[in-house]
Amino acid sequence: MSDRARITRRGLFRGIGTAGLLAGCKPSERPPTTTEDGEQPPPAGSAGALGPGPSPLEFTLNGQRQVAEVAPHVTLLAALREQLRVTGPKVVCDRGACGACTVLVDGVARNSCMMLAHDVDGAAVTTVEGLSQGGKLSVLQEAFIRHDALQCGFCTSGMLMSCQALLGRTQLEREDVEAAIAGNLCRCGTYPNVVAAVLDAAKGSA
Amino acid sequence: MPDDSKVTLKVGFAEQLRDIEVQLPAGEPKPWDARAELKVVGKPHPRVEAPLKVSGAAKYTHDIVPQGALWAAVLRCPHACALVESIDVAPAKSQPGVAAALALVKPGERMIFAGQDVAAVAAKTAEQAEAALQAIAVQYKPEAFVIDTAAAMQDGAPLVHRGKVEERSTEGDEPGAGGSAGQRGNVRTSPSMKKGDAHKGLRMAKVSHEATYTTQVHTHSALETHSIVVQWDGPKQATLWCSTQGIFSVRDEFAEIFELKPTDVHVHTEFLGGGFGAKFGASAPGSRMGFIAGELARQAGAPVRLLLDRKEEHLCTGNRPDSRQQVKLGAGANGQLTAIHVVAHGTAGIGTGAGVGRNAFGVYSRCPNILVESHDVFTHAGPATAMRAPGHPQGAFALELALDELAKKLKRDPLDLRLAHDEHPVRRHQFELGRKQFGWDEGKKRAAALRDKQARVRRGFGVAGSIWGDFGRGKAVVATVSVMRDGSVEVKNGLQDIGGGITTVVAQVVAEVLQRPIEAVRVRLGDSELGPSVGSGGSVTTASVTPAVRAAAEAVKTQLTALAAKQLGRKPEEITWSEGQARAGSKSIAWAELCKKIEGEAIVATGTRPETYGAYPVKFMGGNSYQIAGVQFAEVSVDTWTGVVTVERVLAIHDCGKVMNPLTARSQVQGGVILGTSYALTEQRIMDRVRGVMLNPNLETYKIAGARDVPRAIDVVFTPVDTGANNTGAIGIGEPATIPTAAAIACAVHDALGVAVRDLPLTPDRVLAALGVVPARGAS
Ligand code: FES
Ligand code: FES
Repeated sequence: MSDRARITRRGLFRGIGTAGLLAGCKPSERPPTTTEDGEQPPPAGSAGALGPGPSPLEFTLNGQRQVAEVAPHVTLLAALREQLRVTGPKVVCDRGACGACTVLVDGVARNSCMMLAHDVDGAAVTTVEGLSQGGKLSVLQEAFIRHDALQCGFCTSGMLMSCQALLGRTQLEREDVEAAIAGNLCRCGTYPNVVAAVLDAAKGSA
Repeated sequence: MPDDSKVTLKVGFAEQLRDIEVQLPAGEPKPWDARAELKVVGKPHPRVEAPLKVSGAAKYTHDIVPQGALWAAVLRCPHACALVESIDVAPAKSQPGVAAALALVKPGERMIFAGQDVAAVAAKTAEQAEAALQAIAVQYKPEAFVIDTAAAMQDGAPLVHRGKVEERSTEGDEPGAGGSAGQRGNVRTSPSMKKGDAHKGLRMAKVSHEATYTTQVHTHSALETHSIVVQWDGPKQATLWCSTQGIFSVRDEFAEIFELKPTDVHVHTEFLGGGFGAKFGASAPGSRMGFIAGELARQAGAPVRLLLDRKEEHLCTGNRPDSRQQVKLGAGANGQLTAIHVVAHGTAGIGTGAGVGRNAFGVYSRCPNILVESHDVFTHAGPATAMRAPGHPQGAFALELALDELAKKLKRDPLDLRLAHDEHPVRRHQFELGRKQFGWDEGKKRAAALRDKQARVRRGFGVAGSIWGDFGRGKAVVATVSVMRDGSVEVKNGLQDIGGGITTVVAQVVAEVLQRPIEAVRVRLGDSELGPSVGSGGSVTTASVTPAVRAAAEAVKTQLTALAAKQLGRKPEEITWSEGQARAGSKSIAWAELCKKIEGEAIVATGTRPETYGAYPVKFMGGNSYQIAGVQFAEVSVDTWTGVVTVERVLAIHDCGKVMNPLTARSQVQGGVILGTSYALTEQRIMDRVRGVMLNPNLETYKIAGARDVPRAIDVVFTPVDTGANNTGAIGIGEPATIPTAAAIACAVHDALGVAVRDLPLTPDRVLAALGVVPARGAS
């Protein structure tokens, strides 16, 4: 991780308070929120300060070095999907309630809609696209298929990422898996199969 | 193929099998019946499309970004009822990144729910589009509104509709439902279902029970929100990507809106993130999405993506109506029902369709006198639409819980009471099977002992039945099967994959007929140019599509047989197939060799499905199709100190004709049980009566079940039934699977407590109120 001060979406909101947030968002006074136009270069000489326009960002994405110009208010999820066109992580609630956008940041499962893209500067990010190696599905992905742990598949990317972080553990119980996916909603009702798949994969990978 | 022919089919279930004669239309392959020996169909097979779904490679409408695509955003009415005095979208046009802006209402128009379309913009980024909406100036004059179902029924309540009410129906609706028998104020009466004389039956009763049961508004909450991407390919041609359960319903509606030829509208739905009944047509039930995206794209001269956010999804894309059901049951001295009378009122918001299904009318049909009267009550809220077995879960809840309350008065076992009144042989078989497998008799004794002891944590057992029809559609699907010279096999149809497992089942059917490995069959779906198909609604998909696929595969096989005969110097009648080889006597020719002999590039054949031709052993009311049976048993534990209900076990016993793929069918039933559990325990739309808006349009306070909220164990058992309905024997399961869950859970809670909680969801405060330890909440 870089030593740059971390700004999180929650932290940012907490810092300026609700009143400040609302006052700062009067439509007429909104800061430019363009992510693609890029007319505003970051102000020179303001070390550590970003924006309001796109600022350079570097991180590892699925094992590859990734450089991007992203405005500081853009979430990691939006940057991945809309700018980098990595569409495995899904937008479902866009506010931390469903887990469909889960990615690993330095090995920890995180809701990418609740992080800013600049939070991962210098970090290693893994999305569902990074689970298979050289076109070969991982043990966990294979277990999902065997146990039919997916129906429409829209929650599946997030489910897989929440479960992936569990696999290193030796004594995995049903409750551990349920706790790990407690923040991942599935409207098709795949939970029991997800639990079975993870327990099976953990056996296989141990 | 022979002309119209009569065949003998072995049909039925379990030990009750018999031969029937069925008239088959010309060209129709002999149906797979109880005698059919199948190698691939009926065996568990993992989803063929799963590798795409587990690797992030599956593309959903949300993921589609045509070159130069713009984002659309919609300004929605903040008032439950208001007159638009003025609207000016011009200021939005000069906002950064904006390419088009559109007023969707005119001054003088009355808005009738919070969330209704007002204006829309298309801009380069989502944020620019959102920001530009703020520049649109709209003046509203708020008017009186009514949100509450009971209040809307009162004389003098603000009227929701002032003109004639149009019924919107989709492929998600139950066939035969709908229609009107008059309207007064906000109350529109649906045609009633009637048998015998229920009033007389009630007068004759020696024991009776009467109570009111209520259910909540339930939103579909598919994870992928309603979304549509429009790209104009010319002034009269368009390509669409849409998150839909009905590709052709999107095509046809879009063509109608913009006066195009349907064939000039090309629709893609490679995958969709759930639908549950709400995704038909180019528009959402409460938002003109097709028009908005199409018109913005036309004006901007660029493709437009319109992806609703979670709040919009709750407000304007449909929901399951609520209900207030007054149930009266009467029984004679012998414990036999003399009458069932249900008077139901429910609100579908500004829409129609708040009926309570066929449960009260159809399941316990040995009751001689039944009357079910349903009313839609209009309120100023987003329109409801079909949701997984529309009407049925609410109807089942009220009827089954009332039966349990009556059984208690009669001192009769609730399961015995049901068996005494259900005529469907399959459902009776399922009730009996469940009694043993679930440990019903011992369980009920344990529950009674805990109740008598006044234990803090009680146990309870409940059971409920489901009724649905085999609505498989004839003459709606054209499937194409091709065998190429290189030996590869492809099957095509313009069907969408909603997640039920149809892609795999289609591959299995082709693999079965052509004796190829499933992996060798390439299935292409999700594109309107791949041939007519059905919408995934009414649980019709498997029953409608697989017979057409089989017919196409059999036609290809006939041609391959002729080719093999030619190669082997024999007559086609002499050719037999085994393990993918054509044989005649001692001679044989392998698949790859045979395919090389194909003249031209491929053998291609299409197949269709005739109308349903069998309905053994019981017909669905008023139709010529089979009545699908199912029962569910639930065991709950209830903490009488906290009021928390935990579902320990559910046993779901269902019939879906010939089970095509037990692995995916089981998942579908499990999903139905989980949806039903969520409905029973936590989900509810909460409206602010003062402001007329939804208070929980999100996924943190609109509580859908997570991994730790679902039953601790769900057992799924299939009762295979050969109904002789179509050539694969498939019938649907998606909807029946969710009908009895909430009812069975509510009955189990009644068993645990000794008192009924008559309102869904079964939240802790209601449990405690039923026990008399806290006062009951306002309206219920
Ligand atoms: S989209 Fe991030 S948690 Fe729902
Ligand atoms: S598989 Fe559809 S939401 Fe989980």
